[in-house]
Amino acid sequence: MNPVLLIAIPLLFAFLSIMNKKFARPLLLVALLLDVYLVFTISKGLYSIGGFSQYGINLLVDQYSLIGLMVVNVVFFLTVVTNCKEVKRLSTVLLVALAGVNGLLLTNDLFNLFVFLEIVGISAYLITSGNKRPLATFNYLVQGTVGSGLYLLGLILLYSMTGTLNMALILPTIVDKAIPLSNLALPFMLMFIGLGVEAKLLPFNSWVKGVLQNANALTSVLIAGVFATTIALTFGRLLSTVFVLGSISNIVLVILAVTMLAGEVAAFASKRIREVLLFSAIAQSGLIILLFANGLVIPAIMLIIANIVSKYILFTITGKMVDGTKTDEIESLQGVFSKNKLVGFAFTVASLSVIGLPLFFGFIVKLNILTSLFSQYQLFLSALILVVSLIEGTYFVKLLIKLWYSVGEVKTFKVDALVKVVTLIFALGLIVFGVYTKPLTDSLMTVPEEMMEAIAERGNF
Amino acid sequence: MKKVLSLLVVLALGFGIINSLNQNSSFPKFGEADVSDRVSDRYINKNVTEENEEVIFGEDGYETGSSNFVTSIVANYRSFDTLGEVTVLFISAFGVALLFSKDSKRVSLNFKPNFMLRVGSRALFGLIIMTGIYISVHGHLTPGGGFPGGTMIASSILLLYLSNDSFRTKIKGFKLLEGFMGSLYVLIGVAGIYVTGYFLENFLDTGVVGDLFSAGIIPIVYVIIGLKVGSEIASIIDNFLTEEVS
Repeated sequence: MNPVLLIAIPLLFAFLSIMNKKFARPLLLVALLLDVYLVFTISKGLYSIGGFSQYGINLLVDQYSLIGLMVVNVVFFLTVVTNCKEVKRLSTVLLVALAGVNGLLLTNDLFNLFVFLEIVGISAYLITSGNKRPLATFNYLVQGTVGSGLYLLGLILLYSMTGTLNMALILPTIVDKAIPLSNLALPFMLMFIGLGVEAKLLPFNSWVKGVLQNANALTSVLIAGVFATTIALTFGRLLSTVFVLGSISNIVLVILAVTMLAGEVAAFASKRIREVLLFSAIAQSGLIILLFANGLVIPAIMLIIANIVSKYILFTITGKMVDGTKTDEIESLQGVFSKNKLVGFAFTVASLSVIGLPLFFGFIVKLNILTSLFSQYQLFLSALILVVSLIEGTYFVKLLIKLWYSVGEVKTFKVDALVKVVTLIFALGLIVFGVYTKPLTDSLMTVPEEMMEAIAERGNF
Repeated sequence: MKKVLSLLVVLALGFGIINSLNQNSSFPKFGEADVSDRVSDRYINKNVTEENEEVIFGEDGYETGSSNFVTSIVANYRSFDTLGEVTVLFISAFGVALLFSKDSKRVSLNFKPNFMLRVGSRALFGLIIMTGIYISVHGHLTPGGGFPGGTMIASSILLLYLSNDSFRTKIKGFKLLEGFMGSLYVLIGVAGIYVTGYFLENFLDTGVVGDLFSAGIIPIVYVIIGLKVGSEIASIIDNFLTEEVS
């Protein structure tokens, strides 16, 4: 099957859906089902669009994009299914967003990537407009637009130096033309900042708080789970196969380390559950990009998978909880899980996995990260990650204790059976992969090799 | 204070960018880029899948067959990007409608168009819409194409708006046109997969460079883009002119 169908089908359905609003939601569900089916049937390779080999736009399916597509499409599908009521008016937007997300993961062309960044960006602004916080959405819109503008400027400079937009050809061209690294610092810095806005990196992330603070389950899972994962994977591909950071790598590392630390400290100081989660999400994305910047692709992908699964559980349950109890102050939510034990169990598993306790998937991920960093003799970063984990552990355990032990009257909330089942399955997945990781690590083994293959072939077919 | 600081940051950034580009030996000066080692060289000579020395007007058998090479890039070599840009406009127009449709009421224009405006705009409407359609249809031959042509079509609709209060009730058709044209674009792309194996491949005969019926799917795609852009911008105008968020 041609992977372009992953983009074409949702787009076609989006155009059809505006002709009659009644069919919008069924069309969204059909498109999601078709995409999930397609993801598991497409085969690896470079696919040309229009038949212009390396001179036109290509889509690249390798182990890296395949894993990304599977994770993102499945979680997107489950998010829509478990939040069917909120989807109503947004069906067309979600169809376009689905096309954009798949495009970002598949494309092998820098300008095409910008186009999909715009599509995903505009859909994200529209999705957050459902929060009824116009100012926060407007902030996001301005910052996102400036960010993608900077990415575009960097891209133009890079094109004028190398003469190609094909991601597999940029590195070989830089080597062929012997372009000095200092000349590339400006375009790469601009592109890094542009993507940094969407990837929630400090100091470009002031939109996150306003947007996620008031988000319902649908919005927060999409923004902090699906979109964040897509952007992280896109960023990761650029950092591993296109960017030559050279002289700016130190600045980049400082930005990322500060993002991580500041995120965790802010989460520690927060009194509201959604704030805790959103700051924790910022810290996680800082860590993911940090791993990619150090060339640790396998641990980074493991962290991304662990992240999207636990973010799905945490944000879905929190969204439903806030809907039911009309508050997100941790103090007034004391003991909510004592009446909703199953949901509480899933939430607990997800947060313990984020901390990295043994028996959970998060532990394997953290262990993998630390051993890889030690083998690179990155002692400072390893120490930083340990300190950050400690802060993370403290506030999550504090949060869990508050949510389980009741003092006085306990607020209740209702959760659909479907949400319970899906979060429980995900939670069990975190435990299973925490004990038995071999299939996952085996399928990740070939990722770095395959990523470099397209470059070695110079984008040829 | 905040404004002064922002100004300083912007100035520093601008100075940094200009300075770093001036000292950048790999960054070609304006007009001095060596085209021969870039993809653009192949695009201009229609050299991607075959070998040409030069494209000659009035000859046939070239890979895109469009005499306007900007168009051959926009609607053929990088047609996928154009489909993306059309989607960006589509989702923006949809977003405007989405934001206005909630808790909003339709308002009528608070002025009565006088005789001159009514007659004058009717006379101009025909001319402008014809120019718009001409520019969309001839996108593969002359400067222009679907995006400017579509905007012109929308501006003729704007004239009707200003002059005719009852016109607004007839606007529902735009949604259908917009959705239909978008679907057609994607379907042409998918047809490419089944005809020749590539999405958005130019699978029709490319004809003689310079003829109206030439360049394969390019004119078809550009007419689709023109109508789609026209109906999208017209519906944005409709929303901004007549809906008010209470």
